[in-house]
Amino acid sequence: MKKIAPPKFALDFLRWYCREDYIEEIEGDLTELFENQLASAPKKANWTFFWLVLRHFRPDFIKPISIPNLFIHQAMFKNHFKIAWRHIFKKKLYSFINITGLGVGMACCILILLYVKHELSYDQYHTNLHSIYRVLHAYKSQGEKGKPTNPEDYQVWGSAPVGPALIKDFPEVESYFRFTSPSNWLFEYEDKRFQEDNIVFADSNAFEMFSWKMIAGDPATALDEPYSIVLTEKVAKKFFGEEDPIGKTLREGETAIKVTGVMENVPANSHFTFDGLVSMSTFRDFRPGIFDSWGYVDFYTYFILQENASIANLKSKTSEFVDRYTGDWEDSDYEITFEPMADAYLHSEAARQPGETGSIANLTIFSSVALFILLIACINFINLSTSRSLERAKEVGIRKVVGARRYTLIGQFLSEFILLSLFAAALAMVLVVLLSPVLQDISGKPISYKSLLVWENLPIATGVILLIGLLAGSYPALLLSRFQPTKVLKGAFKSSGGGIALRKGLVVFQFSLSIALMVGTAVVFSQLQYLRNHDLGFDQEQMVIVDFAWDSEVKRQMDAIKQTYLSNPDVVSIASSRAVPGGFLPNAGTYIEAPDGTKTMYSPTIYEIDQDFISNYKIELAAGRSFSRDFPMDSAQALMINEAAAKMWGYSNPEDIVGKEFDQWGKSGTVIGVVKDFNYKSLHKSVEPLSLRYDPRSLRKFSIKINSKDIPKTIAELEKTWDELVPHRPFLYSFLDDSFNKQYQADNRFGQIFGVFACIAILIACLGLFGLTAYTTSQRTKEIGIRKVLGASVGNIVALLSIGFLKLFFIALLIAIPLSWYVMTRWLEGFAYQVGLRVELFALAGIGTLSIALLTISWQSIKAALANPVKSLKSE
Amino acid sequence: MKEPSLGEFEELVLLTVAAQHDEAYGVSILESLEDQLGKKLNISAIHVALKRMDDKGFVKSRFGGITSDRGGRRKKFYIITALGKRKLDQQYALRTRIYNQIPKISFG
Repeated sequence: MKKIAPPKFALDFLRWYCREDYIEEIEGDLTELFENQLASAPKKANWTFFWLVLRHFRPDFIKPISIPNLFIHQAMFKNHFKIAWRHIFKKKLYSFINITGLGVGMACCILILLYVKHELSYDQYHTNLHSIYRVLHAYKSQGEKGKPTNPEDYQVWGSAPVGPALIKDFPEVESYFRFTSPSNWLFEYEDKRFQEDNIVFADSNAFEMFSWKMIAGDPATALDEPYSIVLTEKVAKKFFGEEDPIGKTLREGETAIKVTGVMENVPANSHFTFDGLVSMSTFRDFRPGIFDSWGYVDFYTYFILQENASIANLKSKTSEFVDRYTGDWEDSDYEITFEPMADAYLHSEAARQPGETGSIANLTIFSSVALFILLIACINFINLSTSRSLERAKEVGIRKVVGARRYTLIGQFLSEFILLSLFAAALAMVLVVLLSPVLQDISGKPISYKSLLVWENLPIATGVILLIGLLAGSYPALLLSRFQPTKVLKGAFKSSGGGIALRKGLVVFQFSLSIALMVGTAVVFSQLQYLRNHDLGFDQEQMVIVDFAWDSEVKRQMDAIKQTYLSNPDVVSIASSRAVPGGFLPNAGTYIEAPDGTKTMYSPTIYEIDQDFISNYKIELAAGRSFSRDFPMDSAQALMINEAAAKMWGYSNPEDIVGKEFDQWGKSGTVIGVVKDFNYKSLHKSVEPLSLRYDPRSLRKFSIKINSKDIPKTIAELEKTWDELVPHRPFLYSFLDDSFNKQYQADNRFGQIFGVFACIAILIACLGLFGLTAYTTSQRTKEIGIRKVLGASVGNIVALLSIGFLKLFFIALLIAIPLSWYVMTRWLEGFAYQVGLRVELFALAGIGTLSIALLTISWQSIKAALANPVKSLKSE
Repeated sequence: MKEPSLGEFEELVLLTVAAQHDEAYGVSILESLEDQLGKKLNISAIHVALKRMDDKGFVKSRFGGITSDRGGRRKKFYIITALGKRKLDQQYALRTRIYNQIPKISFG
């Protein structure tokens, strides 16, 4: 009969805690009682047994905690450490490769982490961050009415009355705050003048809503009165030096503005920044009408939602809200929605942002690339350690014979790898300190490694070092500790056996990544090159832009200034306009007669220019004529459009739209000409419909086309003339191609960072390859010696050593090409004008990587092939 | 050196060990005591008492032979030592002496 045993878990528990010298008696007695009870009350037997086991869980029977063991461990650790230390210094090359690779990988990760941390820190300093929302507006023309609104159709820029209306209609909205887009101010203080172009009008509750710190003045009332301004620290210092700015009066033309406060500079990690706030009541005084106009767009509206209120609930009520105020709009449609301020920097897709925005996609790409680099470094580590396992085999054998258990050996190897990872971390820290200025340069963000130097990071750093040591070391440690002493010590153990396939796989993986990164870099740079060389449809070479900020004096003397400048032999032509290509343009509701005779409204962008603009920029005409001095009524009754606009109104032939009637922003007349499409915005987008009108009152910037061999001299002459003509206004100039290309700054950065990464990845991969070939060739020195003796040439031997690698390389190529093709196609989708993924790019990246890799291999293989066979064969 | 003391429950266990001379082990002691006292006892109390008396030198132990019962575990037999016997004698004498001092009172 089979005996029923007591419950296993209770028995295991007993055996686990009970002292060795008592287990026999106690377990025996308990089992006997269990068996007795089984006969009388079988149902309760299990429970009784467990209960009795529990009752024995008392100090008398519990195993003593083995303190002496700890001392043994300590001694063992010491020994492990010593062996590891010796090993690291004995094999300097391998240690160097491992430490450098891992260190560079870690440094990359840390730098990227710093960057990511900075990007994620945007606006986090606001205490109200999570209850602040902003209003997004969608202005749709008649044609778009009823179509669903995409996230990117919204814009942050909107009208003034939205805020007050929200407060009035929704009790859950606690307060609202508006500010305008920056305007230019030419301040005068005593005899000094300062041009400031990042001053905004702001509602008086700015400091209640946002956590900006006031240094002087009362934050609650500073922006109440009309004609008061709060300056940031840097501007205040520039204006007043060491004087106390509070109460001082600045003058802008006829207007006097009182300084009522000084605030700390707006932190760099804010999604919008400014240099000063002028009270909104000032703006109301300037232009009272627009504060009730739902159609005048110049405000960013933020609001605080009450606790417990639901934003989703609020969103559901927006359509009836806008209907209440703008339901009478006949020819256009207006929608609003809300966006949490926490999403403003990284997650907003809306247009017309108040400041620059980040890209969560780029952050993801960078982080994954940094991780890949660390992975490549870890792979080096695994590859080198496994390939060299043979060298350690004897050591393992002897240790096992002497009595080491497998887990102590694993512990030994792991502590060696963790020590290496510690060295690597030290190197990484040095690299981070050295390279953080470079990161600042590339990213354009004030990122410092100093934020890493806090105590809280110590456990994290320790954890990461341990983790990387474990990650890189666990496979080699398992492999090494598996050796069987009899085999190893008998000498029957010739090759490192296991791990060859894995090693090859890892090399393929490394090179796939490297090639993919190379392709990525090549595509990014060729795309940027393509953008720079793309024919924009207008002349941007040697174009000097002078900003006079709508100065009325300049506008009055417009023709005289032009004439004076034209008398300079270096000046080819001169024009003025509200904006220059690359700059911001508003949209304007425009009616033009459609082919069927009805007037249809669309909202093309609007370019306000003078009569010389078209010829100055060498923009070609597709039909009709340009603005001209011969037609004095052009400023009132004429409109020019581009081909895209002509198409939008339904004219496939631009000739046909010339002469049609138009109606736009208070002007009406006929369309006089059509220009060919030119890229007045970045090449991320295709040319959008555009209207051009001659409006002498809206002009703001001169565009001076020069033809000069000595540009600095010409600029000096232009400045001298300017100071004579317009002594009250500073000469602020820039070059069009510089400012136009600024639109690609983010893309440039992306390219640079990508390029740096690609180089590092290849460097590390090659380090690994170098170590690997150094090892394999050293394993085969005898073979090479014999081959040479038998007549092999140097070429033969180099080929022999490289052919295995070439196979791996081609497999890597097969993996990398589709991968990078897919990723880069997605990236290029962000541009309307794409360079196209040509075969050359892949070939270039492939050949580049291959030649670097071959160079790395040949260093070792040629050395081996050239070695005198006598040397390698005489010893044995 | 002070002679170790003997607790009340320990004394009962020690008496049982002495009574079952050379045949006393955990379960037999438990059963006998439960029988004598007429109430349920927990084996852990007996184990503790035995362990402490072992430490004090009142009992010594030996293992019995292997059987297929008891999950293959051997019985641990206890036997009283000379010291233990003397202690029992002392306790017995003490009790008797004091008992004899009780005046002859009839409660009838």
